[in-house]
Amino acid sequence: MKITFPHMGNVYLAVKALFDGLGIEYVIPPKNSKKTLEIGSLHSPEEICLPYKIMIGNYVQAAEMGADTVLLTGSCGPCRFGEYCEMQMNLLNKLGHDFKFIVIDAPGDIGVSELFNRIAEISTKSRMSKHKKLQCVKYALDVINLTDKLDAKAHWLAGYERKREECKKLLHASKRDAARCSNPKEMIKLLKDYEKKFDNVELDLDKDPVKIAIIGEIYTVIEPFSNLYIEDKLMSYGVSTRRELTPSWWVKNMVMSPTRLNSLDLKRHSKEYLRLEIGGHARECIGEAVKAYEDGLDGAIQIFPMGCMPEIVSKAILPRISKDKNFPIMTLVVDEMTGEAGYVTRIEAFLDLLERRKEHVLSGS
Amino acid sequence: MKIGIPKGLLYYKYHPFFMTFFTELGAETIVSEDTNKSILDLGVKHCVDEACMPVKVFHGHVASLRDKCDAILIPRIMQIRKREYICPKFCGLPEMVVYNIPDLPAVISEPIYATDDKRLYEWAKEAGRLVTRDRNTIRRAFEKAVSVQNEYDIGINTLSYEMKVALAGHPYNIYDSYSNMNIVRKLNALGIGIITEEFVDEEEVDSEVGKLFKRPFWTFARNTYGFLATAYEKKLCDGVIYISSFACGIDSVLIELVKERIGDFPFMVLKIDEHTGEAGVNTRIEAFVDMLERRKTYEDNVPSYGQCVPCSQGSF
Ligand code: SF4
Ligand code: SF4
Repeated sequence: MKITFPHMGNVYLAVKALFDGLGIEYVIPPKNSKKTLEIGSLHSPEEICLPYKIMIGNYVQAAEMGADTVLLTGSCGPCRFGEYCEMQMNLLNKLGHDFKFIVIDAPGDIGVSELFNRIAEISTKSRMSKHKKLQCVKYALDVINLTDKLDAKAHWLAGYERKREECKKLLHASKRDAARCSNPKEMIKLLKDYEKKFDNVELDLDKDPVKIAIIGEIYTVIEPFSNLYIEDKLMSYGVSTRRELTPSWWVKNMVMSPTRLNSLDLKRHSKEYLRLEIGGHARECIGEAVKAYEDGLDGAIQIFPMGCMPEIVSKAILPRISKDKNFPIMTLVVDEMTGEAGYVTRIEAFLDLLERRKEHVLSGS
Repeated sequence: MKIGIPKGLLYYKYHPFFMTFFTELGAETIVSEDTNKSILDLGVKHCVDEACMPVKVFHGHVASLRDKCDAILIPRIMQIRKREYICPKFCGLPEMVVYNIPDLPAVISEPIYATDDKRLYEWAKEAGRLVTRDRNTIRRAFEKAVSVQNEYDIGINTLSYEMKVALAGHPYNIYDSYSNMNIVRKLNALGIGIITEEFVDEEEVDSEVGKLFKRPFWTFARNTYGFLATAYEKKLCDGVIYISSFACGIDSVLIELVKERIGDFPFMVLKIDEHTGEAGVNTRIEAFVDMLERRKTYEDNVPSYGQCVPCSQGSF
């Protein structure tokens, strides 16, 4: 059995740590690229959302590298994501890939014992003791948390760095090196070392950079390829960015959600504009926009894939928030046709606007 | 007190309930006109671009009622069946409308959980308060409304034609004849009868749906999938026409699941949005009907049932 899984931001590092630890064979699909998307679009229904297409590309590319088992997460949330797995299974079968599927669902839906059965299916391949296996899960969680932390640091400090693109380079180096580690402990140590390196980045704290919150559909904001590397771009511009939706947030949210104590902060902030859960992460999106304003950021950028149902609802609400609070929010909708040039133009225009507003405030007019 | 009721989205299915409820409470009701060009234009003007046409049309209906009533009903339908959902746009409908159409009167937007009468009554209590403070009146109006709704049947099952098409899609795409360009009439004129999802038994739907690896969590998907799978299995129709909205996330999934199930049984997806031209629709319907007819003659002439009937022209 050779397991593969779809890409989503840094998740591959955590999964690598997990399987390295357990001693299970796996295939990391090639990094997302135009090619991945081309393959995905070729085989997927035209109107399906972008994340689906990219994932199909991942599976097909992984199959070419010998993967025979796919790990899918299908949570039964009121969005398409939950319906993905059935369709993806059908599709891959039709393509003639003899995949085995392991679907990790929310326990509320398939029952706790079924969930354990499915997880056991993976871990029985490993001869370790139960205790050791749990230890590996813990390592994987550590990796998720650390990589998210590094992301957050780099994205925020980029606005203050003295040497241009230092944060960006450091961040990329950390991932490159982490991918080369062969056991989880080594990876964790390396990531921790990088964390320290960020403390040594020379900063100019007198700077007042433009600060932006990145909000929107969870896959699209987390997976850099699908948002045309917006965070990298903004780091190069010397803009500080913040993003609440991360893999570690997702894990926490999922674990906590049966207790309804999940992401209280964002729920509170979204209350004024969207009281109820409507599916996907629309409510988080609204909450983040309000929170970004309250935290004194300069603006927000909402990103979602074309046709994304919950985010269309958010998009309908955001202009009101923007108007009420005098807080600029721009929406970027991405699909496989999104061209780099037009995209960059819009981002630059938005940054211009934010900078001008800042000067205005400073000059007191 | 005058309550405005927009003739959009699930109005077509649930208007008896809403109308009875408010009338029994003693309120006056006003329903927006049938969908027409000016309603659609109003909707397009007030709604976010990315939304699907049914949601835009709904915005148009609300806008058309703006100056004609004291409160507008915007049904925030969260759930119709247990452990299933409606589209996210239904859940956020009041927000979409209220933040985008200026100068609206009060709106009735309490969440509706229609999974059982008790939860539905929660809605009635909140919504009814706007009209009367009297609990008993609300209770009585609610009970009447539920019973009127239960008596109400929509659904089409024409028996007088030789050939029949299963007409599938969200209720508003089927029953809003402006949006679907009068498809029912068009088909009848071509000598084709129609059957809709209301004419398949719940048990059959459940049994079909049960065969899926994953239980569909959208009520629309469950109904339509169950209907088409049954209609196909039981030979209730000669082909399927699926009316779908552009940019409907649910349809994009559902159509794939249906295709998977019915193989190369004749299946046509008719995508509609505000730019769809009627001429193109006519041509496609005619071509589809032609194909059905050819197929029928072929089958009639070659009675080798159970053998593979080549129908490469079967799926459009
Ligand atoms: S949230 Fe958006 S992108 Fe994600 S599955 Fe739903 S429609 Fe697709
Ligand atoms: S189900 Fe589809 S057509 Fe209906 S409101 Fe949702 S996205 Fe629009």
